[in-house]
Amino acid sequence: MAIKWRRWNAAIHRDLGYLCAGLTIVYAVSGLAVNHRADWNPNYVQRTEVVGLEGVDLTAPSAPDFVPSVLRSLKLEGRVRGTFRPDPGSIQIFVEESTVTVDLTTGEASAEAVRPRPGLRQANFLHLNEAKKLWTWMADVYAICLLLLAVTGLFVLRGKNGITGRGAWLTAAGVAIPAVFLLIYL
Amino acid sequence: MKIPGSFLAMLLLAACQTADEAPAAAEGEAEMVAEAAFDVSSFTGTSYGEPLTLTEVTKVSAILEAPADYVGKRVLVEGMVVAVCEQKGCWMDIASDREFEKVQVKVDDGVIVFPLSARGKQALVEGLVEQLELTYEQALEEAKHKAEEHGTEFDPSTVPEGPQTIYRIRGLGAVIAD
Repeated sequence: MAIKWRRWNAAIHRDLGYLCAGLTIVYAVSGLAVNHRADWNPNYVQRTEVVGLEGVDLTAPSAPDFVPSVLRSLKLEGRVRGTFRPDPGSIQIFVEESTVTVDLTTGEASAEAVRPRPGLRQANFLHLNEAKKLWTWMADVYAICLLLLAVTGLFVLRGKNGITGRGAWLTAAGVAIPAVFLLIYL
Repeated sequence: MKIPGSFLAMLLLAACQTADEAPAAAEGEAEMVAEAAFDVSSFTGTSYGEPLTLTEVTKVSAILEAPADYVGKRVLVEGMVVAVCEQKGCWMDIASDREFEKVQVKVDDGVIVFPLSARGKQALVEGLVEQLELTYEQALEEAKHKAEEHGTEFDPSTVPEGPQTIYRIRGLGAVIAD
């Protein structure tokens, strides 16, 4: 009976391991990326270019030729989504994948280009459950699978490397490490 | 000289309002202004959060004109997305129908995530108007956080001394045009 139980445990651990490998890698990579969001933007690559505008009439930002002449100066192409005046001294021009801010007093224009980080944007989208809807349930199923992986993993091996031997010490260390951090920071 | 932050906030909200433009609301006769002219049902795009329930759009300028009258009220606003939280997508600014004005839509972190690519797109947002009372220290912290988000240098002198009153919309649901 004991042998049969061990076999089932090993089989569940093995198959769930294969099943969860892909998403675990995706979540781990995303976890690393969003953990350091204070230092970088894990979702988008942002590049800002500042140029001085020449030959653009800064006194007439509402004129029909203003936006095209700014975009020409910046060598920017793409559909203009709209413009916004945050204050009397500046105007923002929204182009596909770029936002241009023109300082009407200095004639300086900064163009911020934004594009999603390939792979990471998608990984974060799933990891942070931006999708909601059905993905919420899918992520719940994945979390339960991880729980089963952890529990079954404790009982895969028997003997001195199992949960009654070396495994006990490593499991205890794995619990103690976050506990210590909780004691320090919480 | 210390200027009360709440006064400054009101001043900012009404920055572009000229004497001619000032409606009766500014003279103490504020009332809820909702207009049905905008066809909500024809607005299509990507949905975020709860489905929209209101059908009448309230002008952003009307809310900014007399924000205290709208506190706690559920409103539907329409306008161009002019800024998005770069780190978590947890807020976005919607341009007012009047120049030099915008209103912030704040959502709970992770519950709704607005994409950075929404900038420049039209949006319909439903939510509750809320009033925040910030101490000077909180206002400093908020400004510092925003500067960090945008990757710009934080200049404490840009934050007016004293407490501040901020009005914004607690976003419940939104549709952003594709």
